[in-house]
Amino acid sequence: MSAPPASSRKEVLRAFYAKVVEPLGFTFTPDTELVEFLLEQEVVLEGKHGVPFCPCQPLRGDREKDMKIVCPCIPFHRAHFDEMKRCWCGLFVHPGVTDPDSLPQLPPPVTTP
Amino acid sequence: MKKPIHIYGLSTCPWCRKTKALFTKSGAPFDYVDYDLADEPTQAKIMAELDAAGANGFPFVKVGADIVIGYQPERFAQLLA
Amino acid sequence: MTWTDVLDEKALAEGMLQVVYPLGVNVVLARVDGAVHAVAGACVHLGCPLFNGTLVGHTLTCPCHDWRFDLRTGRFLDAPELGLQVYGTRAEQGRLFVSLDSTGGTP
Ligand code: SF4
Ligand code: FES
Repeated sequence: MSAPPASSRKEVLRAFYAKVVEPLGFTFTPDTELVEFLLEQEVVLEGKHGVPFCPCQPLRGDREKDMKIVCPCIPFHRAHFDEMKRCWCGLFVHPGVTDPDSLPQLPPPVTTP
Repeated sequence: MKKPIHIYGLSTCPWCRKTKALFTKSGAPFDYVDYDLADEPTQAKIMAELDAAGANGFPFVKVGADIVIGYQPERFAQLLA
Repeated sequence: MTWTDVLDEKALAEGMLQVVYPLGVNVVLARVDGAVHAVAGACVHLGCPLFNGTLVGHTLTCPCHDWRFDLRTGRFLDAPELGLQVYGTRAEQGRLFVSLDSTGGTP
């Protein structure tokens, strides 16, 4: 039978994200608890704003800037995330990362606006 | 004298919760604000501080004059020492 | 190549987007500088309908979260690894035809 709406939306996001991040050289973190938590937060954010914004980056109320923090935001922060081997929230990591907790959240390079 | 500690986060951000838990455990007094739940003037003030520090993500931690961007438990421990 | 009749040629004006469904597949048609382009009609980000997007030159912007694609190659402008399937188009006797066979566009 069909799943409740919120959780089915989570599965839709999960399926789209998997297809988007793989060609970019990322995959879901092996920390499954974190994956579930973040996807649930994104469903909440989508419910509130109509858009699955990043749970860990600020909305500024400027469409051009805010659309660069829609998940997966990897295309817009690639150098920074590649350097960390993870995205800012840690939802995605480079394949082969088995110990995501060892990857620090580094501040963005000064060139990032 | 103890340095004042201010932490900015988002209610949706797991690393902000971990940061808050870590500082709570340390016993040091601090204040914590969720940017997404704050009123507009507070949001503007927080955003100005993030921009000045070149940050675009949370958590954002200030210990005295030191700023830490992101969940960095080792840096927090150093600053709390 | 198998061609499917999709639209009256006159129904696609310069700078316009049109959604068509050859064999049930969601395809967006656009005419830029007289040439007809056809790309997959669902955005690679979260599947939003691209015929509702905006077209400026050859750049098609998704209405949902503003991902931008080059109509000619299907490429997502902010990450060339991602893109929309590009389909072949042909005009014949006032009708437009689409071929769903791959034309080598991304992905
Ligand atoms: S930082 Fe990670 S979780 Fe946040 S929007 Fe970007 S890709 Fe998604
Ligand atoms: S669905 Fe097209 S940009 Fe998000």
